[in-house]
Amino acid sequence: MKAERREAIARRILGRSPADQCEVLVEYSNQALTRFTHENVHQNVAQTDVSVSVRAIVDGRTGVARSNDIGDDALNGTLERAIAIAKLAPQDLAQPALPVGGKTAPPDDAYDDATATADAALRARLVGTMFDVAEGSAVWSAGYVSSGTDGITVANSNGAMASFDGTQARANVKMSAADASGFAEGLSARVADLDVASIAATAAEKALDTRAPRGVEPGAWTVILEPAAFAELLAYLSEHFSAQSFDEGSSFFSGRLGESLLGTNVTIRDDYAHPSNPSMPFDYEGQPKARVTLVENGVVRSIVTDSYWAAKLKRENTGHALPAPNADGPQALNLVVEPGTASREELIARTPRGLLVSRFWYIRTVDGKQTIVTGMTRDGTYLIENGKLAGGVRNLRFNQSIVEALRHCEFSSELRRSGGYSYSMVVPTVKIEGFTFTSTTEF
Amino acid sequence: MQFEDLAGRALDDAVARGCDYLDIRFDIGRAERVEVRNGVVASLADAASTGYGIRALVDGAWGFSAASDLTDRGVDDAVARAIGLARASASVSRTPLAAAPTIAYVDSFATRVERDPRDVSLGERVALLLEAERALHVGSAIAVGRAWIDLWQADKYFYSTIGSKIEQRIVQSGGGITALAVGGGDVQERSFPGDRGLYLSGGWEVVSGARLAENAARIGEEAVALLAAPQCPSGTRDVILGGSQVSLQIHESCGHPAELDRVMGWEANFSGTSFLELAQLDRLRYGSNGVTIRIDNTLPGGMATCGYDDEGTKSCASDIIREGLLVGYEMSNDTARAIGRTSNACVRAQSWEHVPMIRMCNLNLLPGNVPFEGLFEDIKDGVYMESNRSWSIDDRRLNFQFGCQIGWEIKNGRRGRMLKNPTYAGMTPQFWNSCDAVGDADSWFAWGTPNCGKGEPMQTGRTTQAAAPARFRNVAVGVGYEG
Repeated sequence: MKAERREAIARRILGRSPADQCEVLVEYSNQALTRFTHENVHQNVAQTDVSVSVRAIVDGRTGVARSNDIGDDALNGTLERAIAIAKLAPQDLAQPALPVGGKTAPPDDAYDDATATADAALRARLVGTMFDVAEGSAVWSAGYVSSGTDGITVANSNGAMASFDGTQARANVKMSAADASGFAEGLSARVADLDVASIAATAAEKALDTRAPRGVEPGAWTVILEPAAFAELLAYLSEHFSAQSFDEGSSFFSGRLGESLLGTNVTIRDDYAHPSNPSMPFDYEGQPKARVTLVENGVVRSIVTDSYWAAKLKRENTGHALPAPNADGPQALNLVVEPGTASREELIARTPRGLLVSRFWYIRTVDGKQTIVTGMTRDGTYLIENGKLAGGVRNLRFNQSIVEALRHCEFSSELRRSGGYSYSMVVPTVKIEGFTFTSTTEF
Repeated sequence: MQFEDLAGRALDDAVARGCDYLDIRFDIGRAERVEVRNGVVASLADAASTGYGIRALVDGAWGFSAASDLTDRGVDDAVARAIGLARASASVSRTPLAAAPTIAYVDSFATRVERDPRDVSLGERVALLLEAERALHVGSAIAVGRAWIDLWQADKYFYSTIGSKIEQRIVQSGGGITALAVGGGDVQERSFPGDRGLYLSGGWEVVSGARLAENAARIGEEAVALLAAPQCPSGTRDVILGGSQVSLQIHESCGHPAELDRVMGWEANFSGTSFLELAQLDRLRYGSNGVTIRIDNTLPGGMATCGYDDEGTKSCASDIIREGLLVGYEMSNDTARAIGRTSNACVRAQSWEHVPMIRMCNLNLLPGNVPFEGLFEDIKDGVYMESNRSWSIDDRRLNFQFGCQIGWEIKNGRRGRMLKNPTYAGMTPQFWNSCDAVGDADSWFAWGTPNCGKGEPMQTGRTTQAAAPARFRNVAVGVGYEG
């Protein structure tokens, strides 16, 4: 569904709304994913939907209703439901006015028509290429290729009206040998950018390189985290930059803006317009997104806000609202870490003894305030000896403060986009001294 | 009826196009959430979503399309798309994986509901939460209080080319409270009931039965007390886990590894594989003799309780672990057929737009015969832990580390002082083999989990792991906080 149609739906609702303030969020999604295992497609799915969410504010009382029925009567019904809910809600006089919006422009290359219209035959060809690599390497493959488009329109009765269309393509593969596995991924707004042969070859190489893994002792290690591993770790720091956790005291950075808390080589931004990860230039309240420097040379510089928390803390609204209703506060969802100067290979070459981690798994917070998290390595964990990769090791569990890790780190010069189901960011490979592993597993 | 007409059109079209099998599942989903945060209603929302998912089987391969366009043309397009996806799957797959279901049912099912949540006014819902949340604030150290209610209803209409016609109404409800205490550079959290709230299939009686307001002051006081409590020691101890934590232990270390799609590598790139390999079936001593873990999708109140799963298989009960021995898996039609068994109805889809896949359903540790107090009796030096705070396990489900919100020292058979940051770790089969006592039926409860993640695209499942408190010997505790 094109932006013009979504905006027409929004205008229709706003034109009929008797609420003091009204916000309309129209989301369109058309996504497909071809998933495989053992060189067979076991799941091939396509989903299309449009949904409309209405936030009505009546006398300081807020209600939200959502429906995927976009018939005229149904739109009226969704509006009426939101108002009815609002009238029953307690009054919240701290609720600020909805943003008035502003001019925004989508980042370059956020939308690619070929990706929006990519069909099952194209994805089958791409997974077939990965099957060929698996068979040629005598390993088996599991993964997926996905493609699709999302469109979003946010409008409100204070004048905000913003639309964005983006595309996403992704290839993700794990290659498995008898006693080892390797992982690689590629993400882009353009399906044509997915070099699936190279992605598959990287995963297969890792599986073959790490066969017959040896056991190593847990303890403090020098580690080199490749982008997929580093991004998953960093995702657990992003909530510490939220104005909500900052104000309530659960953030490590609470009350510590301006302090040097990370290594002097650490600069982290939230940047919706990074060319490797172009995303929507406004938030779910229609506020234009600011490109925010969160950490500069180790000094914590800023947090992210939405309209509620900007008003409460008397800070600028940085445009990081999530969809209403939102009990989690504003979030920095597009982290970018400033790269270093050494290549990944140079980081390895300068490591007398350490571990290279391709990917983490199941990271969870152990102690939120102290940013201590635990998790496992998986799918390509190497020993480094005398500056060279020296075969695979059995996977290990870590318990590590993220902040502490970022006090003793060095970044590679290459940036990669990586993402999970709840984050998408652009990061380099990172070398960390004294990374704490606490146990090992059997594979 | 609109759905039946549209379904007939889809099934006829499938046959005409040479499709080997097709099913279409209409789903009218309704989700309502109310959340109060620090005295403010942070969420008062009502979401409705209607659509259909179509599975098409062609040449031993599946295609799945989902759409919300409830017109003839919309259904025609979705059928064509599903068949196109199936043909694309078949074109590149090396071997056929799939076969059509063979047993058709014409039936209906509805969750037993004592009080329809729709009969409870928004005002009553909000008032309950405001009262409970207010009671959490027992002092200035409580930085965040939260209280919430979730209400879900799904009306499903399933039709297939082998003649199934199944109508179901599934109603699930839940709620909980959480207090976050901040002080002295520390943050501590307490929740009730369990760590995620109380979630059951049923109506408003689930929410009112949770007794949130009655327990809120105690939960707030415990959160504050944890700030000053001593750290859980590190070392080897006997451990008693509260029922909700045993529930999570079952979920992570039995429920997920026993999913047969994981065992067969279908989830390898994301959720991982499993140490419960096929060669271990009927051989692996998973746990001690007192450990029997059973799928029961007919369990009253279970979040996964229904008449039929989302590929039209009738709900049933079957053992996964019987007196410590691995004897079964959670299965779909295709995976069961691959190992010469029949499905035990463990297939679910989050909504109409999600493909049905194997999900952990109601998977329960059967109660033992030890009263709760009796679990403590012969422990000289141990830790009792309640309510999960952190959970992590490797991608074959062996090496785990879990943390709880609160613990208590056990000395010479008696519960002693409160401990903060209790954690424990181990390897799954060794841990379950160290279980020497499971609480009795009086302490057994159907703990529900509303947010189990699996699959790509990611789906959220609602599941129950009924459990009683249980005792484990010689467990590593205080992990992650050594030194």
